[in-house]
Amino acid sequence: MRPRKSLSTAARTAAVLVAASLVLVGCGRSDDGGGGGDKAEDSKAIAEGPAEGSIEVWAMGTEGEKLGEFAKAFNEDNPDAEVKVTAVPWDGAHDKIANAIAAGETPDVSLIGTTWMGEFAESGGLDPTPEGIVEEGDFFPGAWGSTVVGDTAYGVPWYVETRVLYYRTDLAEKAGWSEPPKTWDELTKFAADLQAKGGAEYGISLQPGQAGSWQSALPFAWSNGATITNDDGTEYTLDSPEMVEGLEYYKTFFADGLSQDRLLDPGELENGFAKGTYGSFISGPWFTGLVEDAGLKPEQYAVAPIPGKDEAPGTSFVGGGNLAVFADSDNRDSAWKFVQWMSQPDVQQDWYTTLGDLPAVQEAWETGKLADDERLQVFGAQLDSANAPPAVPTWEQVASVIDSEVEKAVKDASPVDDAVANMQSQASSIGTGL
Amino acid sequence: MATATPSRSVDPTRGRQAVAAWVLALPFMALFLVFTAGPVLASFGMSFTDIRSADMRTPFAVSFVGVDNYLDLIGNPLFRKVAFNTVLYVVLGVPLTMGIALAIAVGLNRITRLRGFFRVGYYLPVITSIVAVSVVWKFLYREDGGLFNTVLSWVSIAGPGWLDSTALALPSVALMSVWRNFGALMVIFLAGLQTIPKEMNEAAEVDGAGGWKRFRHITLPMLRPTLLFGAVITGIGYLQFFEEAYVMTHGGPLDATRSVSYFTYDQFSFGNYGLASAASYLLFLAVVLLTAAQFRLLRSKD
Amino acid sequence: MTTTMTPAAGVAADAPVPADRGRDDRRTPWWLWLVLGLGLALMLVPFAWMAISSFKPDSEVVAVPPTWWPETVTTENYELLFTRLDFPTYFLNSTLVALAVTVGNVVFGAMLGYALAKLDFPGKRVIFALVLMTLMVPGVVTFVPLFVLTSNLELTNTLPGIFLPFMAGPFGVFLMRQFIMGLPDELIQAARIDGAGELRIFASVIMPLCGPAMATLGILTFLTSWNNFLWPLVVAQTEDKYTLPVALALYATGQNATKYGLLLAGAVVVVIPVIAIFLALQRYIMQGIAMTGIK
Repeated sequence: MRPRKSLSTAARTAAVLVAASLVLVGCGRSDDGGGGGDKAEDSKAIAEGPAEGSIEVWAMGTEGEKLGEFAKAFNEDNPDAEVKVTAVPWDGAHDKIANAIAAGETPDVSLIGTTWMGEFAESGGLDPTPEGIVEEGDFFPGAWGSTVVGDTAYGVPWYVETRVLYYRTDLAEKAGWSEPPKTWDELTKFAADLQAKGGAEYGISLQPGQAGSWQSALPFAWSNGATITNDDGTEYTLDSPEMVEGLEYYKTFFADGLSQDRLLDPGELENGFAKGTYGSFISGPWFTGLVEDAGLKPEQYAVAPIPGKDEAPGTSFVGGGNLAVFADSDNRDSAWKFVQWMSQPDVQQDWYTTLGDLPAVQEAWETGKLADDERLQVFGAQLDSANAPPAVPTWEQVASVIDSEVEKAVKDASPVDDAVANMQSQASSIGTGL
Repeated sequence: MATATPSRSVDPTRGRQAVAAWVLALPFMALFLVFTAGPVLASFGMSFTDIRSADMRTPFAVSFVGVDNYLDLIGNPLFRKVAFNTVLYVVLGVPLTMGIALAIAVGLNRITRLRGFFRVGYYLPVITSIVAVSVVWKFLYREDGGLFNTVLSWVSIAGPGWLDSTALALPSVALMSVWRNFGALMVIFLAGLQTIPKEMNEAAEVDGAGGWKRFRHITLPMLRPTLLFGAVITGIGYLQFFEEAYVMTHGGPLDATRSVSYFTYDQFSFGNYGLASAASYLLFLAVVLLTAAQFRLLRSKD
Repeated sequence: MTTTMTPAAGVAADAPVPADRGRDDRRTPWWLWLVLGLGLALMLVPFAWMAISSFKPDSEVVAVPPTWWPETVTTENYELLFTRLDFPTYFLNSTLVALAVTVGNVVFGAMLGYALAKLDFPGKRVIFALVLMTLMVPGVVTFVPLFVLTSNLELTNTLPGIFLPFMAGPFGVFLMRQFIMGLPDELIQAARIDGAGELRIFASVIMPLCGPAMATLGILTFLTSWNNFLWPLVVAQTEDKYTLPVALALYATGQNATKYGLLLAGAVVVVIPVIAIFLALQRYIMQGIAMTGIK
């Protein structure tokens, strides 16, 4: 064997490959790469009459498991249509949809995570929402906002979640608080009291950067009036005094030792909350189940809207899932009719009963089981004051920039002003992608 | 490798050998040309464009940007940091993994009872779910009540939060990775040890060669092709280090455990296909250099 | 490392030439058992924890600090897996895919590996360079182009679409080449002198000696293919084409929360066939060439 020769052959082969691939490289970008973009796209109206034919739907996890059976009710008014649901694991779902769009092998409808909308819409993979199938005003404004890319809506909010303040009522009582805090000053005092008088090791648990911490840090900036992009989503506007002030406030919890400054492992938060290690934290509706499974009695904790700078509620984060129809759908009109059906208030209520997903349609909260659930009504109230991150193709990347700069600020690796300036300069060079 | 292949000029079977070789190569080459060549070329081409996931429906309507992606990466402080981290992973991981795998393989080759049991045992980390592995190892590394620090406290040392420290997190993750990966290499070395005829060792023993001497002069030289394979595969593995950092630390704290592959994975998931491809091919270049060095170091003497 | 290795080899030095298993055993020093045994314990802990914890409810799996024995023993995780999933279908798909990939890699790898190790032919160095380079290209970079290609070949949502692209990997070729290089050339020369054809030499002289290498390759390839997640997920468009890891991920990972009990139970279920394959093939690994009687 002559290894050196082999490797120099490797180098030569590589050179040939370069030459070949350069030939393959295409002809340059036209003004507007994909479908979405700055100018509003035309949306074709859908045909009258009931849906027909087969409607392929992808939905993730348990949503995918339950939707097939649930969608049978759709057939009552649309006897000639058949809804075929494929369950897709959440893990890998983004890549699956991205590849399906790239190869033009999409189903008709899919559940789309709210933070993916910008990317998929810009790729031209999604069909703009036709006029008149739903009313924007029926939905929570933050949730609707997650479907709007540029000036065009792609898809319809299906279910929502938002983040609120969880706190131990028994520890709060001991610390002299019978009501939850409503302002920033109160929240600081509240956390300090939970720690000093309530017996918690940490008054509150917040994320010290990394791994999606923008979801807990940005609400403080939003509550202070900071924005992420300008109105039409063409520029990031992270560097503002409001952002700096919001993050300065966020940082005080770590600087004063009111929150742990390490990344918690899975299970640590709910277990620690049940044990009284953490007196409060900010998270979404799925945590009610987790903390009760960890052994906490329902009367030991409560949820409250996120404190605002001067008054409650502050602005929270809204996430969830949208239903979108693909541009490559071969049964487009019927697909939209299915999405329209899923957005009816009574169907949304039934879906809540089936799986516990919170309805994106406001009317669904006004009657029935949801209206009687005090804890969920807190989430409902918070949803009126909750922002979705901007639906731009580069959001996930900028979110990770924010995560890492928040970590630097919180851990004193750089001053907050610098961190925010850094966020802005990186975000500007990334661009919104619209 | 007792003798080299006879020289070309005098080998009368050369023609027949060539025909046979191409027949043997055919199935691999066919599948290679269909499924590997195209995608590799395409991805290499992508690294010279500004293609993003949103362009994939119109992949030819993107701009050619020359080597801009490569220059961007080299100028990117985060990329330089993850490149440095990756070098550390290789330097820590490759010798440890190779050494432990070889030691255990030689040890297991020596015993005859319960061999099968031991082999499965040492292979278990390779097949254990990474989630379970990460839960247990995070517990070992924990600051309060972690196993390592409990042991340290017996000798009155207050141990740190191993994964929370920017200095200790990377070696900690690398150690866990060595633990998790040497089993596969051990299996390869075990098989390699079988190609050494027992007679050679026995003859040497009769001649009075000691154990260490036989290891140096028989086992190691005879194992050289397998060691080379192991070194190359392990080197590639650590240069493409990703999964352990992902589950243990999410690349933190302050990017202390982030690797080039982690960076690349992120860029792909952000949809920056052009930049991510460029990062992959820079990594490829590093692999080529490391492999060349290993071939040079471990090539046969003849 | 050398410090642990030196004595290991050294102890055998003073012992007589091994003639049979019994005498081999007596030479194994107690401390080698100790070292190997302690090492083994370190290897076992996470696996044991995984197996035991798969019988815990979610909240106990993520208890901090982790617990060893379950407070409440539950088989709920397994019941969920077996009742909610169409298990036979996924198991069959996974088996077919993993077997195709394993057989392909072992057979094609041995063929080309032999050619590269022992035959002299034009194009040899180019092919080996291609194999090495393919090995070095990070898999993630070719993922999207490969899927577009698979889609153009109309292989999406088919099992061949899942296994064909991985049936001939560079890993197998390189591994087989390195092993076969270690085999003595005299074997081949002798067969040629006896008048055997080249392909016959490969089939009847080389292949029988490749047991350890092929078994090793088989074990490693089977594991990789069996655990492969993202490619089968993206290629399969309907649930009836899902493989086991894809199906197991369906309900274990959520948008915001993970069901750890389900995840561990799934990991246990998935690992059983891997262990079975390992046990089935491992006796071939220890089949030394001395035993197959070259001399």
